[in-house]
Amino acid sequence: MNNKTIFFYILAFMLFTRATVLGQTPSDAILMNREQACILFDYNYGSFDQYWEGGLLRENQTIATVKKNTFMPMMAVGILDNLNIYVGVPYIKTESSDPNGGKFAGASGFQDLSIAVKYRFYHKEAEKHNFSALATVGFSTPVSNYLPDYMPYSLGLGAPELSYRVIGQYQLKNGLYARAATAFLWRGYAKAERDYYYNNGSYYTPWMDVPNAVTIEGTVGLWTLKNSFQLELNYLGSYSTSGDDIRSYNAPQPTNNIDMDRVGIFAHYYVPTIKGLGIVAYHNRVVNGRNAAKISTTGVGLTYFFDYRKKQDENETK
Amino acid sequence: MKLNNYFPVIASLFMVLASCEKDLPTHLFYGTYTFSSTDEDGGTWQTVLLTSAEDISIPEPTAITSSEYLQELEEMKSEMSKMSDDDKEAIKYWTDNAAIRWNEIALELIAKYNIIPGPNADGTYTLPNPNTPEGPPAFPFAHPPYAVRALSYLSVAQFDGLITAWHYKYRYNRPAPFQQDNNITYAYTDNTIPSYPSEGAVLASASKNILTAMFPLEADYLEAKEAEHLRSLQLSGGYVHSDIDAGKVIGEAIALRALERASNDGMKNAQTSKAVSDSIADAAYERFGWKWINQELPQRPVGLTPLYGKVRLWNVPNVEATRPIAPPNLDSEAYLEDVKILNDFADNVTTERRRIANFWQDGLGTYTPPGHWNEFANKFIVKYKLNPLRTVRTYAYLNMAMMDGGISCWDAKYYYHYPRPIQTIEGFKTIAGTPNFPSYTSGHSVFSAAGAEVLAYIFPQESEMVREWAKEAAISRVYGGIHWTFDAYIGTDQGIDVAGYTINVAQADGAD
Repeated sequence: MNNKTIFFYILAFMLFTRATVLGQTPSDAILMNREQACILFDYNYGSFDQYWEGGLLRENQTIATVKKNTFMPMMAVGILDNLNIYVGVPYIKTESSDPNGGKFAGASGFQDLSIAVKYRFYHKEAEKHNFSALATVGFSTPVSNYLPDYMPYSLGLGAPELSYRVIGQYQLKNGLYARAATAFLWRGYAKAERDYYYNNGSYYTPWMDVPNAVTIEGTVGLWTLKNSFQLELNYLGSYSTSGDDIRSYNAPQPTNNIDMDRVGIFAHYYVPTIKGLGIVAYHNRVVNGRNAAKISTTGVGLTYFFDYRKKQDENETK
Repeated sequence: MKLNNYFPVIASLFMVLASCEKDLPTHLFYGTYTFSSTDEDGGTWQTVLLTSAEDISIPEPTAITSSEYLQELEEMKSEMSKMSDDDKEAIKYWTDNAAIRWNEIALELIAKYNIIPGPNADGTYTLPNPNTPEGPPAFPFAHPPYAVRALSYLSVAQFDGLITAWHYKYRYNRPAPFQQDNNITYAYTDNTIPSYPSEGAVLASASKNILTAMFPLEADYLEAKEAEHLRSLQLSGGYVHSDIDAGKVIGEAIALRALERASNDGMKNAQTSKAVSDSIADAAYERFGWKWINQELPQRPVGLTPLYGKVRLWNVPNVEATRPIAPPNLDSEAYLEDVKILNDFADNVTTERRRIANFWQDGLGTYTPPGHWNEFANKFIVKYKLNPLRTVRTYAYLNMAMMDGGISCWDAKYYYHYPRPIQTIEGFKTIAGTPNFPSYTSGHSVFSAAGAEVLAYIFPQESEMVREWAKEAAISRVYGGIHWTFDAYIGTDQGIDVAGYTINVAQADGAD
């Protein structure tokens, strides 16, 4: 339901992955970073048959089980030693399981184009550990004319979003690491295809104010198998700063106050025999929420790192 | 590179953010304007519920030279000198044509209560009960038939109330305070309409009483709105206390009359038992060989207000006079052609068709299609600078015609009991929610055509446009996948036919 937050979290995974790679290859990493790029092809499947209407967890046979398939190509590019940019756009398809009482058509199409810039503004190496602090600024905006006012099938919130994120990571030389992040998400207005809606009062406009949100994230992880395998457990909390509740047995709308707590597991394996290739797998589930879907998502992906300036010889690359 | 280097970028991003915040309108913005007419003979117009304006009496006002009146004037000036910022906001909000505000309040309550009761844990449904309005589910479920009825009683009471007010205004001819005393600045555009009784007070009392009966859980909210409106009347410099008191007398009396009719109009029997509902469906099955069946999960045992077609009409002599021809048989060419059209629309949702389906959807949680046509009326009322009397006349005929349309439509819906597309087309999916009542004819089509006809009569300059809108509203339901084309086309004809009865009454009421 909160596609954008989920998407940003995946994006954040990539930021972190890159940061961790930096930390794991001490001598040549910085040079490589500047000239390396990474492509990700991600597919995930999410579904829910319960959601929180306000604070009440409920089922609704009108929509039965809502299924969401997402394909996302994404690219990360190292511009400077400590500066990466990220670009991605997901293609999403939503629908209800049969039988259902609503007989609504699902939706499909490209969602929001996201661009993010990450900067590592602090890095300290010690004998047995290191610490990095990073900041990202991201922007996303719809790239198709999907209708945000078609919950729960709408592909996204339909509003531009600016995100400001701060990340801190502490890592031991034995491969254990812990990471914390917090973000503020400013969201603009979604445009409905009607001139009137109710949001604790009448609104005579197609514009819907999509609430801003803050997120907090916490992760513990481990690099092992000679730094070719990464496994982590993560938590995400996302809280809208305003908004209304879904009304009784009524459809959600972009003005809703969405809160959620989500836990997940993430693994990344770098195939030793094929240079640059990695496999990503993850699963996460929303465990608590308000006006949110109790969605579980499972995803797999391929990552491919490559040098976009073919100057390095074999010794300088990983 | 240092973080400092990014500060200008970040700062400018925040500035972009700040400039993006919109002020979203929660009501129609209009200022005071010079009324296009004063209608001195308005008190002679034919009333709807009353025999004539004389049915309600108010005391003869004191002379403006009397000590009582002069004291009232001083009291008014003293209150005006102590105005708070909230008072000033209230004056700006209510304006000198507050009928529009009361209409908006009605629309807001409709949207607030247009929430369909969901199933209980055991799969049964509980219906809202006026005797225990708190629920759950809360009373009322303000679906389109309920909404248009609430709007009708509100508008008719306002109309009869203002005809009565106009009758006494021009009988007693008490000039407004600002007409008598140069030291008083009227908050709105000067007019020559006498101030006794205050038309605003009629509107406030009548509207509060009608809406409280229709939305009992909103009693406190409505009382606060009434008090704010009444206070703003005095603070505007337009009315002294006795002007307002006399208006309240009329407002309360006419609300009583309207609610008396409402309590016996058959609405309380409209939602039937399952046994009655089943017998209605079976009668249709015997007659035509089909019946509509609710497709929800869990299935709703009874459709929405099966006997709304028997509710008392305003201007149509009997509902059968407006009943349309039978819809096509389920094996006919016409029906099969429609299946093709609906499948085509479902498979090819264009941007334009989606926009039209959504623009006119006016579904759950909104002010309903009749509410949409009241919003159009509000814009025209301001555009053509109608005075309060002409404003409520517009509402009265608009909503009577739409309610008669709803009754006629519901008669057809449950007489023919025709299935919805999702019932008979295998695997069919829609982009709009299918409502809990039979398909033929389309409520949107009938409401919209009836509403458009009345607006075309009152605002002839807009007639072409509003009739186009009504056609678009009708076809929007086919684009949404929840109606057949004949539901829409024949529904439009039905709405035009029904509205004719109301327009005949309007043309003879003395206002033209």
